Amino acid sequence: MEQKNSEEKPREIKTNVLVPYEIAVGQTWSKFFDYLKEERIMGKRCYKCKRILVPPRTFCPRCFEETDEWVEVSQEGIIETWSYATLKFYGQIQDPPFISAQIRLEGADTGFLHRIAGFDLSDFEKANKIVKLGGKVKAVWRKDKRGDITDLDYFAPVEILSL
Amino acid sequence: MRRVGITQLAQSSGVESKENLMDLTYWVNKEVLDKVGLQRDELDCIIIASSDIFHSGLSCANAFDWDGAGAFMLEATRAEDSMFSFIYGCMRIMSGHFDTVLVTSIVKGSENAENDALTSFFADPFYLRPLGMNETTAAALQMRAYMQRYKITEEQCAKVVVKNLGNAVFNPHAHIKKKVSVEDVLNSKVICDPLKALECAPKSDGVVSIILASEDKAKELCDKPIWVKGFGSAMDHFNLGDRDLLNGQLPIAASHAYKMAGIRQPRKRIDMAEICEPYAFQELLWCEKLGFCDEGEGGKLIDSGETQMDGAFPINPSGGVLAMNPYVSRGMYRIVECALQIRGKAGEHQVDKKVKTALAHGTHGFAGQCHSVVILER
Amino acid sequence: MGRAVAIIGTGQTKHGRRNDVSYPELVREAVIAALEDAGITFKDIEGVVHGTMPSMMEGISDTHLYFADAMGAVGKPVLKTETCGSTGQSIAHCGFYWVASGTADIILVVGSEKMFEGDGQATMTTVADPWFTKQFSAGAPMVFTMQSMEWIYRFKIPEDKARDAAAIISVSNHENALKNPYAHLRQKVTIEEVKNAMIITYPVRLMDVCPASDGACAIIYASEDKAKKICKKPAWIKGLSFRGEEFFYGESNKSIWPSATEAAKEAYSQAGIHDPLKELDVAEIYNPFTYQEMIFYECFGFCPRGQAPDYVVKGTFLMDGQLPCDPSGGVLCTNPIGATGLIRLAEAVLQVTGKAGEHQVDGAKLALSHAMGGIDQFNGITIVGSEL
Repeated sequence: MEQKNSEEKPREIKTNVLVPYEIAVGQTWSKFFDYLKEERIMGKRCYKCKRILVPPRTFCPRCFEETDEWVEVSQEGIIETWSYATLKFYGQIQDPPFISAQIRLEGADTGFLHRIAGFDLSDFEKANKIVKLGGKVKAVWRKDKRGDITDLDYFAPVEILSL
Repeated sequence: MRRVGITQLAQSSGVESKENLMDLTYWVNKEVLDKVGLQRDELDCIIIASSDIFHSGLSCANAFDWDGAGAFMLEATRAEDSMFSFIYGCMRIMSGHFDTVLVTSIVKGSENAENDALTSFFADPFYLRPLGMNETTAAALQMRAYMQRYKITEEQCAKVVVKNLGNAVFNPHAHIKKKVSVEDVLNSKVICDPLKALECAPKSDGVVSIILASEDKAKELCDKPIWVKGFGSAMDHFNLGDRDLLNGQLPIAASHAYKMAGIRQPRKRIDMAEICEPYAFQELLWCEKLGFCDEGEGGKLIDSGETQMDGAFPINPSGGVLAMNPYVSRGMYRIVECALQIRGKAGEHQVDKKVKTALAHGTHGFAGQCHSVVILER
Repeated sequence: MGRAVAIIGTGQTKHGRRNDVSYPELVREAVIAALEDAGITFKDIEGVVHGTMPSMMEGISDTHLYFADAMGAVGKPVLKTETCGSTGQSIAHCGFYWVASGTADIILVVGSEKMFEGDGQATMTTVADPWFTKQFSAGAPMVFTMQSMEWIYRFKIPEDKARDAAAIISVSNHENALKNPYAHLRQKVTIEEVKNAMIITYPVRLMDVCPASDGACAIIYASEDKAKKICKKPAWIKGLSFRGEEFFYGESNKSIWPSATEAAKEAYSQAGIHDPLKELDVAEIYNPFTYQEMIFYECFGFCPRGQAPDYVVKGTFLMDGQLPCDPSGGVLCTNPIGATGLIRLAEAVLQVTGKAGEHQVDGAKLALSHAMGGIDQFNGITIVGSEL
């Protein structure tokens, strides 16, 4: 390779890739989102291992059998883990700061990923006092339903709601 | 070397499905497990083929595909192309470390942008992409060169479409199936001269699964395993200008497979072939390179009628890729068709001739940059 | 069971920001280095395995086509496999099974990434499905932080104890990288600097987190006969395994990480290892996050569950400890994702063949390499040793 002139900046080109998609939601998840419009959180049960999966699945990944029953789970749950996001990057669906959490809804056998909100998110120290691992949260719904996961607007710590 | 057998298989239709990809994957894999009488966790290994070329907007598609492929907590992995995953699956068994391997290929063309929007990303961003290079434009260059050098006619290329789409009418899984005439093909819209619309493959859905097993295990799991006699693959240069588009790597890929299978005269020993022909003329060109006819004689081969379903050397009784093009899975659909033909289970698209040995071919990349060949035998 | 397979050569690029080379040139650098190390030429290679992160990362797809010339793969069979972050281990396993199958004697494996050419976090977000998970993703840091918090909570580890241990890990990895000529980040950091660095996702801070790097790595496998003929010090594959959990994050308990635990069990069983802390000489663990690394120590049986911070503070995993971890500086200092898992194996090979130079662990004979992929979904392990 040629000896590079150290004053020469390496050349780069800039380019963007934009590709459109139309993705099938499928029977099970379509029904789940329809239930969300009715402000109900539904899971599906695997008849073999008896686990109730939320989000619901057409089949159980462990038993590899079709799930049978639709089972309503509670709108309340406990925080299994959470994280306060400050990192901003291209293509993010919402701007930070926001709190994502894994929530174990009462009646479900799996953790469910969603947002925690309902208080001032801008101050991390304050948030850290309000959001606790093992703390109880309750679903808060969006008024105008769209039939997607954001119909569940967020989960709020139960203490906040009773204020 | 350990023998590898195909025990059971399952495939989905190429027609656009409204089902979620995860569910579709589950149903096909559950079907093949039920057919062979195994529980998911009795499998030794699972190899998924799914694409990272922007398919379904999912990257690390193995993550999304894992559950539907039954891979939870099993030894499993993913390859980029269904021929790769099939060959890799055979290697895993031949290594002696595994007795059963499920290979499954997953793609849902109906969810994606047009084929060429995606294949344009094979091109490097400096030289080829700004020129609008994609699989179709590359194939068009190759077609013109082919027709010129060997005096192949437009009609001969069109005959491939007539044959394959016509065969597909009898294949319940095919995507495009219709009776067309040579005129219909020649009058169809010019996509990229000299390629016409009907000479270019569609974009299809396709989930397909095969359970491979070592010799002893295969005999346990099914009455008549189909043996993998040989396989081979070879890669060409990346830059089109570095290649002779009419003399690529297919002979090398085939020679590996033939050597493994002990085949010295392909045309005599092989009874039928499923060839990956996303562009009609490529069926003729690949036939020459596979040694099914002499160099430049691809046109004569289609004219002879020998490659029809009732002919002496049927090619693409399934309808081929022209009838169904689930990009990543298209190689394994060729293998599945060969297996069905050998078993006599191809229903209405069963060829007249008795099939003992069949060849399946897969290709991807510009103008067939990468070729894979698999040989199956009763 | 099957024939023995060894690694006879490894090669790495100088990792970091490599806008001095195009992506194929970067790949070639690693391949040439591996061929030189093995003392063979392109002619001897019978097939090539390649892997890298998905198309979105560098905006080019089916890179095994793009790199055909750079990898010397023209006229040869190629396999491409990819499993997100664990790609490096998946391609390593593919190369192993290829040679073990008997269909080839010498196979080249290449992993690569050029992260500065794309948006890494944006790419990783596309691993998440668009219906449930993507909304809440803030890239890798968020997920790994959630996992670490869950672990701290379930095992009742005092937060400041975990913080201290994580800081020790950060300091030691950065220090090790200073002795590794290939590493990307080569800077000394102090405990105070780590604890006071900018918060990324609490409690994870800037120095607890890996960089994004450009880099490539290549290794060459040979069958037993060939290895014994052409290589003075082959590194033998003693055990390997790969496991994955469900796609949805909340299903398996990530604080005890079944896929990591089971992968290790299977690899140990193949290698005849019963007490990893005693029997392993060195471990190159996939550690993009300091807190998460401690979960791996527990899953791999280096210490009981919930006690990793104690073992870290004791110095167990430092260069002069009972089981040195990441003497190369680990993923924490170098992370070209498609290559990273393979770099762990290459470093393990350097250790057991005595070629690790300044970051050599004296007398190392048995080493573990590991990679993790997806949203905490996959774990792959390869164990190498200097004896057959």
